[in-house]
Amino acid sequence: MSIKPVKLIVIAGKKGRVTVKYPFQEPIVTPEFRGEVEIDPAKCIGCGACVRACPPNALELLESEKEIILRYFVGRCIFCWRCVDVCPVSAIKGTKNFELATDKFTDLYTLVVHTRATCELCGTPAETVRMRRYITEKVPISEEYITTCPTCRKKQFAEKIAMRKVGISELKK
Amino acid sequence: MSLKSSILKKSPWVFHLNTGSCNACDIEILDALTPYHDAERFGVKLVVSPRHADVILLTGPITVESLPKVINAIEAAPRPRIIVALGSCGSGGGIWHDTYSTIGGVNGLLKILKEKGIEVDAVYHVPGCPIRPEALLYAIALIKGIVSKKREMKIYKAE
Repeated sequence: MSIKPVKLIVIAGKKGRVTVKYPFQEPIVTPEFRGEVEIDPAKCIGCGACVRACPPNALELLESEKEIILRYFVGRCIFCWRCVDVCPVSAIKGTKNFELATDKFTDLYTLVVHTRATCELCGTPAETVRMRRYITEKVPISEEYITTCPTCRKKQFAEKIAMRKVGISELKK
Repeated sequence: MSLKSSILKKSPWVFHLNTGSCNACDIEILDALTPYHDAERFGVKLVVSPRHADVILLTGPITVESLPKVINAIEAAPRPRIIVALGSCGSGGGIWHDTYSTIGGVNGLLKILKEKGIEVDAVYHVPGCPIRPEALLYAIALIKGIVSKKREMKIYKAE
């Protein structure tokens, strides 16, 4: 039943060498392969759409008083590329890179640091500077109220309504 | 005994430790050992006991149920011991990073090992879901010093 060694050598000779020389040659990847994503810091507006779409929270938005940081931790990424689909400015791009092995934990992070805008009236930190610019470009009428925070906007609106009802002279008393 | 002198000269024998993974990474490990990718070119050999192993291939997000067995297996491996955390689950907790039944990848494990006084000489992270067999070969080549590290921490300042 068993194949004789001579026959085996003939079969192996016909087949030839099948082993790929991987670390010493380019990796063979299919066109559909999904690798790590790349964030373009020149385009990113820090809106957080990718953060909401990310299933394993590999993309996170860290908020502080003056900065909003978009943190991409590739060690948790499952390479679904949902963030590529949802990004409104197409700042996130998928690559075929999978050679991510490292001996240091911090190498797996990618940070994009955004400056935060503030409310003109009360001074509380709001969305990023770029986000404001993006909104005003898309909706030009928002230029009138974008510099204030929602709470201040509500207050202003309530004051205007009150003014109409009772008149300025009554309100100032 | 430094890590370099001891590991680079000899063949890294690996022990495959599944800590509650979905078996995708496990299949890719076996794929790396087949003649097509042939990890044995680098002297990699799959051993059946952690006492014979130099490198522990850790897959899965380390469930609470498997934690005592994982600690036993790592303690049984002789020094210098290297942990290679495979996949998104192993290296960062993956999609299970905040579930009640896992400890969130190898970082949680290292804290527990430190409390128990078990030393680990080096930890390698190999992200991927699942990892490609080439990614595992790349990690082994990185351990042996054949290839250089490509990934670095990137900080961009956007306005």
